[in-house]
Amino acid sequence: MHLAWKEIKRNKSKFLIVGAVIFLISFLTFMISGLANGLSQDNAALIKNLPDGTFYMTETAEETYTLSQINENLQKDILEDFEEAAALSIQMGFVNDGEEKQHSVAFVASTASDLFPNIEPGEIVLDESLQEDGLKVGDVLTNSQLDGEFTVKGFVEQAKFSHAPVAFIHPDNYKEMYRTDTMQLMFVQGEREEISGLQAFSTADFLNTIPSYSAEQLSLNMIIAFLFVISGMLIGIFFYMMNVQKFGLYGILKAIGLKTSALFKIMWTQMLAVTTIALVLAIMLSQGFQFIAPEGMPFHLPFDTSWKLSLVFLSIGFIGATLSGLQIRKIQPLQAIQQGEM
Amino acid sequence: MAVFVIENVEKTFKVGEVVERVLKGASLTLEQGQVTALVGTSGSGKSTLLTIAAGLQQATDGNVIFNGYNLKNMSHEQIRQVRAKEFGFIFQFAHLVPFLNVEEQLKLMLEVAESKMSNKEQQEEVDQMLELVGMTHRKEAYPPSLSGGEKQRIAIARALIHKPKVLFADEPTASLDSKRSQDVMALIRHLTKTLGVTTLMVTHDEEMLAFADRVVKMSDGVILQDE
Repeated sequence: MHLAWKEIKRNKSKFLIVGAVIFLISFLTFMISGLANGLSQDNAALIKNLPDGTFYMTETAEETYTLSQINENLQKDILEDFEEAAALSIQMGFVNDGEEKQHSVAFVASTASDLFPNIEPGEIVLDESLQEDGLKVGDVLTNSQLDGEFTVKGFVEQAKFSHAPVAFIHPDNYKEMYRTDTMQLMFVQGEREEISGLQAFSTADFLNTIPSYSAEQLSLNMIIAFLFVISGMLIGIFFYMMNVQKFGLYGILKAIGLKTSALFKIMWTQMLAVTTIALVLAIMLSQGFQFIAPEGMPFHLPFDTSWKLSLVFLSIGFIGATLSGLQIRKIQPLQAIQQGEM
Repeated sequence: MAVFVIENVEKTFKVGEVVERVLKGASLTLEQGQVTALVGTSGSGKSTLLTIAAGLQQATDGNVIFNGYNLKNMSHEQIRQVRAKEFGFIFQFAHLVPFLNVEEQLKLMLEVAESKMSNKEQQEEVDQMLELVGMTHRKEAYPPSLSGGEKQRIAIARALIHKPKVLFADEPTASLDSKRSQDVMALIRHLTKTLGVTTLMVTHDEEMLAFADRVVKMSDGVILQDE
């Protein structure tokens, strides 16, 4: 007999309240995660969307990519030695449109590679968010440090760096604008290999060298971690309260011969049912929010992240409920009988 | 035929520094098909003796022998199985499962007793038992909608549905009025005789003794009189 389901069916309001609380906590966690991910994307989508690989900068740059200068010979050697490699530079700056309106961008220049748009000198490819500012293909943009002009060649999706839209330009234009002959970074796809004179960084490590990124993510991740801890405790407390209310009933069921394991099954089934339904609703709502989120709001919650967070929630709920349920083992049938009517 | 033998059972409780001897060597033999009433003043040890016999707590000393097996030598799991399959319980309060209807209360007991009956046979058994206790018309009802007498009838049906060898009843009429108490006791006696159960009942209500085959009087942890 499915005692767990029969109790849920008979006490809908009680389980509805517990489910609503779990839904609200998990929904809050999903939303904060979506915002954290959104900010992370907004800060570093350019880097995060690259395939697995290794970034290199000069050892003398002391983990600050803007100070890195990879000499042309070394760059040439690396590009020859590694098939899937590119040299790139990133600099914050501005472009002016035909109406002299200034747009803040992150200029990114790279050597020819499938990883970045193929650009000729004088061309510029922009992140799609700049379309909302009225920029379109064929527009002519200027920069105070460049003698010539840029013609907008096209737009790309999800190209953000340091909360600014990325503007892909040709290395020749970059070198002219920033009065340099060198590129800052090398990116090599695949396994990490040591290159003399250069310091290697995984994508995650490289992201952490961006000061705004690490500070921002640390704060948000702490919020999420606390939410998880608090959620776990709340779920545990709720199931503990539910168990305490049923100690009398459990005692009687033990007295008539029901196994303790059967009582645990009741508790686990109810925990799983209530938590799963609450999580499914929270996932649906938080995923749906992505479609109605205000334009420009950095909210990014991949389905993959949602179900991983859900698994963590289920595990926390299971541990919380089981710990509180350990009291069940101590229940004495005799006490329940003597306590009077339930 | 002796189904149950209680030999020199002692029970002591330690409360702080004080050791209280609740049972001081009680012995009793229960016969099949008999209703045995345990009577005595409050604190005489009758409920303690019943719960020890029912395997709900352990004796400090002495033997409780059921069907030739000494409960003292059994594991917790073995005692649980005996309770589930061989014993039936009626408590002072009905203690029904609040979220199961009348029919489901009885089916749950069959499940706990690991009944080998098919679903159809179980249903027939439940219908028959509800008819015996006169509750067929309330089989869909849930405990909150039942009167005290009705609840106790269902508790009796639940205690007997799996055909236990021994029925333990601890003050089964204490929460009922006089008329309902008479009805419930008549029912317990009727079922004891019909099903050939061995019934041990604790009561403080002298009117209920008319339904017992044997009255055992206890005082201060010992059996004073057995008639």
